[in-house]
Amino acid sequence: MAKTILTVDDSASMRQMIKLTLTGAGYDVTEANDGTQGLATARGKAFDMVLTDLNMPGMDGVSMIKEIRKLATYTGVPIVMLTTESDAERKAQAKSAGATGWITKPFQPEQLLSVTKKVLGQ
Amino acid sequence: MKTADPREIFQQEAQDLLVQLEQALLDLEHAPDDSALIDTAFRALHTIKGSGSMFGFEAVAAFTHHVETAFDKVRQGTIVPNRELIMVTLHARDHMRQLIEAPESADTAAGEAILAQLQRAMEGGAPQAAAAPAAAKVVVDATWRVRIRFPRDVMATGTNPLLLLDELRALGRATVTPLVDDIPPLDVIDPTACHIGWDIVLTTAQPSTAIEDVFLFVRDEMTLEVEAVDAVVPAARLGEILTERGDVTAGAVQAALEQQKPVGELLVKDGATSPDKVNAALAEQQHARREAAPAAPGAAAKANANSSVRVPAERLGELMDRVGELVIAQSRLRQIATTSADQQVKSVAEEIERLVLELRDTTMGIRMVPIGSLFGRFRRVVHDLSRDLGKEVALTMEGEETELDKTVIEQLNDPLVHLIRNAIDHGLEDPDGRAAAGKPQQGHIKLSARHAGMEVLITIEDDGRGMNRERIRERAEERGLIAKGATIGDSELLGMIFQPGFSTAAAVTSLSGRGVGMDVVKRTIEGLRGAINLSSTPGHGSEVTLRLPLTLAIIDGLLVRVGSGRYVLPLGSVEECVELSREEDARSRGRSFLNIRGDLVPYLRLRELFACKTPADPYQKVVIVSSGDLKVGLVVDQVIGDHQTVIKSLSKLHADVEMLSGATILGDGAVALILDIPHLVAFGQVREENQRAAG
Amino acid sequence: MSQQGSKMRKVKDATSLEVLTLRLDGHLFALEASHVREILDLGPVTEVPSANPFVNGLINVRGKVVPLADLRLKFGMEKTTATIDTRVVVIEIDLAGDQTTIGLLADKVYEVTEIVPSEMEETPRIGMIWRQEYIRCVGKRGEDFIIVLDIAAIFSSVLRDRKDNPAKRNAA
Repeated sequence: MAKTILTVDDSASMRQMIKLTLTGAGYDVTEANDGTQGLATARGKAFDMVLTDLNMPGMDGVSMIKEIRKLATYTGVPIVMLTTESDAERKAQAKSAGATGWITKPFQPEQLLSVTKKVLGQ
Repeated sequence: MKTADPREIFQQEAQDLLVQLEQALLDLEHAPDDSALIDTAFRALHTIKGSGSMFGFEAVAAFTHHVETAFDKVRQGTIVPNRELIMVTLHARDHMRQLIEAPESADTAAGEAILAQLQRAMEGGAPQAAAAPAAAKVVVDATWRVRIRFPRDVMATGTNPLLLLDELRALGRATVTPLVDDIPPLDVIDPTACHIGWDIVLTTAQPSTAIEDVFLFVRDEMTLEVEAVDAVVPAARLGEILTERGDVTAGAVQAALEQQKPVGELLVKDGATSPDKVNAALAEQQHARREAAPAAPGAAAKANANSSVRVPAERLGELMDRVGELVIAQSRLRQIATTSADQQVKSVAEEIERLVLELRDTTMGIRMVPIGSLFGRFRRVVHDLSRDLGKEVALTMEGEETELDKTVIEQLNDPLVHLIRNAIDHGLEDPDGRAAAGKPQQGHIKLSARHAGMEVLITIEDDGRGMNRERIRERAEERGLIAKGATIGDSELLGMIFQPGFSTAAAVTSLSGRGVGMDVVKRTIEGLRGAINLSSTPGHGSEVTLRLPLTLAIIDGLLVRVGSGRYVLPLGSVEECVELSREEDARSRGRSFLNIRGDLVPYLRLRELFACKTPADPYQKVVIVSSGDLKVGLVVDQVIGDHQTVIKSLSKLHADVEMLSGATILGDGAVALILDIPHLVAFGQVREENQRAAG
Repeated sequence: MSQQGSKMRKVKDATSLEVLTLRLDGHLFALEASHVREILDLGPVTEVPSANPFVNGLINVRGKVVPLADLRLKFGMEKTTATIDTRVVVIEIDLAGDQTTIGLLADKVYEVTEIVPSEMEETPRIGMIWRQEYIRCVGKRGEDFIIVLDIAAIFSSVLRDRKDNPAKRNAA
């Protein structure tokens, strides 16, 4: 059965690129536009992995990660954040909120795939 | 049983050796110092010379003798195998092959010319040799001790230590020892916490930064120690290793040794160290011993070569036939057992079913051969073509371990050679053309193979100029294949090149472009019940995809009923079965697609296609099948269930019915037809494209 | 010596033929016994969609999938329903280089018999409603004509006709 990935990002083009890259590799991808939607979607279904931007309107990435970690179904589930180079402080915050790893923007599809493989195994 | 002809045995063995020789020579061009390759080449020459004279192949023995002499000098280091020498040796190899396959028709003059060239190449290589002795193989592997300890809650944040260990293993050869001393008793253990640490001994060619990179995401939270092991001493004793690792004092080891019992046990007993540490040290000892073992020369495949058996292909074919009949008989037995009340009969029938399935799988596996054996031959083809056409070509191959039925592989050779030739000759631009297009001088051809469901996908990609759609269209209109101005889907347009005699090449080169090739390629592939697909981006390159069934003989199928006939669909192509609601059934008439849960899928009503006269079932079913990325929904009366199918070919009288790929016998003795999924999918796709284009 | 009003001529250099005789729609046909493998009762027939109507069925002959041909269609006769006498004559012929097993429908099968040269006559060019190439010769036995078929030619023509008129794509 294909692994399911929840991708949360307010940029439609980003979501599009992520979805294309991951579905092409056989993953099942669900999208959410911001932290609030992301959290709601994560509550509704147990995903194998969550991929999220940090800078989003409304509920931002760090807060969302914190909330998701409170859900029992997400203990042990990898949450990967998308960060920019200058995000060092937010990255540390996200890490302590419970993020598993990160991908630095801008990134190539291959990098996305290799990190996904790293945290999900294949 | 026929006693084997020794001459034939020699010919077969010599063929294998010639393949090895060629591969070694091609590899040697990029790594002239590799003594293992030189050894392989020399041994091949030596064996052919020796056996040749024994079995009456004097000509090849005499010829090879000279080549062997030359390579003996290479082996001793007095000559360096430069490009010229390798080229000549490759020619010599080809001549040797002639001498073995058809000694009477061999060209002796050509042979002498090659030997003369060989002589010159040897002299040319000598002066450099004086200055450069055979280089010793550079040691690139290093061994590291890697100790990792994670915080208790590391898994809560989604880190999986086992995946990280797998990543470490992928770097080289690793021996992993879990440290279990800290695992609390069962009644207090927290299963979501990480209580285990690991000690790893890793031998890798990668730098230590690669090891640290594995732990990139958790570096800050964990303890990671990476220590180089200076000299991996295979004979090091456990006590020595423990001391060196700092897990025990030298004094304690001494004391334990004096007691003449296993030192590890004693040290633990005395509390001088922990069981974990002893285990880890033992692991290091074993790792060291393994690394010191003499490496098998050449690829791992050679090790396997000793444990294989030669079997005449026809004997294998007979075995397959018997297994096939057994499968049919067994499915009839299953039918009978289902209706029987006798428990013993039922249980024996079940047992037989299990055994027959296993037998089927094993037998299928015997004929599977990795496609790498085929790909390997193409290196030479590309090498020669690149030289002949004056185009620099880099060939990459992927998925060489992908396995295919032996009979399929043999038939793929010619089509693939033709496609590769096409790609290099017509696809890749010449050096000026590439420079003008801003591309690197070296053209790129990529061969790849992978499994996808019940099929094998083989692709040939090039980064050349792509296919010229205008020219194809022109030519097609010229030949009356398309009416001027008619609309035609892109895939159908590209498919025009498969028409006999079709060629858009402005100048017909001696290698390809006569237009006789592509239609033959297509026919060969379709003869293997496969399909061929083209895609191309102008200016960027083209890709040819071959789609082939995994096995020719036995497959798992889905049995359906259309009218009064029963048909089998290869299960690997089946995505799902849905019931077609009355509404959707009515709605779909006049449309070219069905709405399946939001997805628009082209469809074919098999009742129409097969001209069924019996009344339709009230609720039709749709079986969605796929071939690659394309799908089509097949509308049938009833989905009956799984059925293991022995594929029987249809006779020539029915070879023209493209929808069918064969027939099979069902449990009740009736004949069912096997549908050709790629054909139906393509047909459905084309029909939908045309209907859409027609507005 | 030509016979008054007769358009039949004796076959030159003929040798005896061992044939299996059968009946199709009231006519007596025969085919060379050397081609015949066995004679079966008619069992279930699977129809092959889009196939040439002459050979649009498949049957199971002891585990082998064998095409079933209805010779009636080659000779312009109507298809009729099977009776208790209907049989399938299983033959083996060389078809474009392959040994191929084919089943032939027959309304009734008689015996294997020998046609001697004195009974053989050339196929008349006129007065014959069927394609000449399908027929080897005509045997006369008393009042009956036995039409000896060239079975290999019949099936080769199927392949040949197909090549001349490339198979129609399965039209929607």
